[in-house]
Amino acid sequence: MKKTLCLLIAVLFFISMNCFIYPNPSKGEELSSFLVTSGLGFEYFNRTVSWDEDTYSSKLKSYIFLFNMTFEIKEGFFSNIIIGYSLSDFNSLVFRQLPISIKLDVGNISGILFGGEIRKTLYYFSDFEIETMGQLVYYMGTQKEWDIPGLGVKGKATGKPKWMRAQVGPILKYTGIKDFTPYLFVNYNPLWGTFSMEEKIIELVKTEDKKISGKSRFGIAFGTLYQMSDSFQLKAEFNILPYKDGIDSGFFLNATYTF
Amino acid sequence: MKTKKTIFILILGLVFVFLVNFKHIRKSTINQKDSIDQLNKIQSLNSGLPFKLKEQKFAPDQVLVKFKPTLSDPFVEATISAYQSKRIKRIPKLNIYQIQIPENMTVEEMLFILNQNPDVEYAEPNYRAYIAVTPNDAFFKYQYALYNKGQEIGGIPGDPKGKPRADIKATESWEETKGNESIIIAIIDTGIDFDHPDLKDKIYSSGYDFANEDSDATDDHGHGTHVAGIASADTNNSEGMAGVAWNCKILPIKVMDEEGSGYYSWAIEAIRWAADNGASVINLSLGGDEPSKALEEALQYAFEKDVVIVAAAGNEAGSVIYPAAYDAYCLAVSASDYNDSRTEWSNYGPEIDVAAPGERILSCVPIWYWGPDSFPYGFGSGTSMATPHVSGLAALIKSIKPWLKASEIMNVIRYTADDVNADSYPGNDEYIGYGRINMEKALVPIKISGAK
Repeated sequence: MKKTLCLLIAVLFFISMNCFIYPNPSKGEELSSFLVTSGLGFEYFNRTVSWDEDTYSSKLKSYIFLFNMTFEIKEGFFSNIIIGYSLSDFNSLVFRQLPISIKLDVGNISGILFGGEIRKTLYYFSDFEIETMGQLVYYMGTQKEWDIPGLGVKGKATGKPKWMRAQVGPILKYTGIKDFTPYLFVNYNPLWGTFSMEEKIIELVKTEDKKISGKSRFGIAFGTLYQMSDSFQLKAEFNILPYKDGIDSGFFLNATYTF
Repeated sequence: MKTKKTIFILILGLVFVFLVNFKHIRKSTINQKDSIDQLNKIQSLNSGLPFKLKEQKFAPDQVLVKFKPTLSDPFVEATISAYQSKRIKRIPKLNIYQIQIPENMTVEEMLFILNQNPDVEYAEPNYRAYIAVTPNDAFFKYQYALYNKGQEIGGIPGDPKGKPRADIKATESWEETKGNESIIIAIIDTGIDFDHPDLKDKIYSSGYDFANEDSDATDDHGHGTHVAGIASADTNNSEGMAGVAWNCKILPIKVMDEEGSGYYSWAIEAIRWAADNGASVINLSLGGDEPSKALEEALQYAFEKDVVIVAAAGNEAGSVIYPAAYDAYCLAVSASDYNDSRTEWSNYGPEIDVAAPGERILSCVPIWYWGPDSFPYGFGSGTSMATPHVSGLAALIKSIKPWLKASEIMNVIRYTADDVNADSYPGNDEYIGYGRINMEKALVPIKISGAK
């Protein structure tokens, strides 16, 4: 996991450095003003995750309500800060390392989400534009406590989930339609996380850290931008993430206002 | 020196209380002719092979689809055809279609597509169902302790009937694990019949005979063979009985002579020897009235090597005997019956940890026991019979969670027990401790389904 994280940070760093190394393909001019865009969005994804060294798998569903703020640092180079609230459902995780095994089927667990994104325009040709984008988001679930049913004594399980997701890849935009910009985003899209579960039954106390990772690694997103006015823009995106035994999916809606 | 002297005095005064009344073993219960008749009638399911979960969880070329009830049949048929699929069957009343998917598609892809269709209520794989794990051993039906369906206890018309599911939930737990061959249960007792058909393939080594100071732990009494069978008889072999820990091995250690008595010193040596020779669990279906520091130290030695020690409480309706009374190092087991009631003869006291069935328990006896041409099985009663049920469970826990310490395994067994006398004595009490053991709760993941 550390290796993947290092790799992603390196990729993001590379994209950001791109901005300074290569001149802007259109004009190469410094921005006269510092553009700020803020937005509200909603994202849903349903990802197949595996655990216990790929022995078992289940679905991770997540509903994300987010606020984002984008800064155009240099023409064609954007930096985005993401803050959000997420409901994540770790469906049917089984903790077999605990003294008394537990199967968790509790529905959504709320948590906060934060992350960052950088985007850089690379080329324009005809009515097409190519960008590269990198995003990293981190979900930190709230700690929840459940009674362990069926025991003759009082027992509690305390769980705390977290996951991280990265998206890196090129975006091909078509700019030939007025106000509408459809695009295709081919992305490397790993997801990984940990669900930490502590079991406490009188003097029997143990913790199991269940490491999960998304089965799909690559995705193809189809989306469109709709420029409602000079400062108001809508975005809709549908992402499919195939893996060996199936397909995961997700979608993202966002409304932004440019100051 | 002083300890040795004390031990010697104790040895002289002690008669190891055989926790089973072998007089209770009823030869008549399994009458040879009846048994042959029964065996003739019983066929081996699955050609005598164990039922195993197959890797394939669902049909690779089919899905089940339920369309919205407002759709007409022709429209449904047209929809199925549009997906280049074929209808195999429509399940009447439920209105569910079994559909053959196109060859170039996986079930997951098809389900993904179908579930996008607003006319589809749901689509899912056509999963395979499997029968529950029930061993095919001929006498399993007499083993109410493992699975009590309210059958006649003893198998003779007129025998009392048990209360359905007053058992240790063995069949449910065997779906999670049947044990691991590397987990050894030391049976410190009268030895074992090495030629018994349900034990001969289960023996880890020839063990040791501390009563005769040799390495031949052959049973010359019968008690040890009965105890070993309960803990780990060869199971699902189409004959005989089922053991609690199917795949775990037995280490026989003889510490009692043909009269069923022995010295504490033998037991002390045996406990140490078992701990040093690979035992993960020690079963002590024996005991004496007197405490012994040496015995306690032997228990401590094994406990600190992470060996789970399980000992019988005794059958005198009195105080818990030793070593079971050494609460810090072993689980003390009392006996329950086929109605989940405590047996009236089971010892009691604050040292009791759990209970397990100990009334009329079927198990192996040495092949010489009933005489030539008889079936080497019989019923026995006592906390001796309750104890190996718990030892078997400890071995199964150790099999799937080898990282747990002995104290943790003991607590798992305690905390997952069913408090079957909660109406009279709620909570941990001196009769059945935390309750009658429940293998399912101890081994199968407990489902947490609601937020607090």
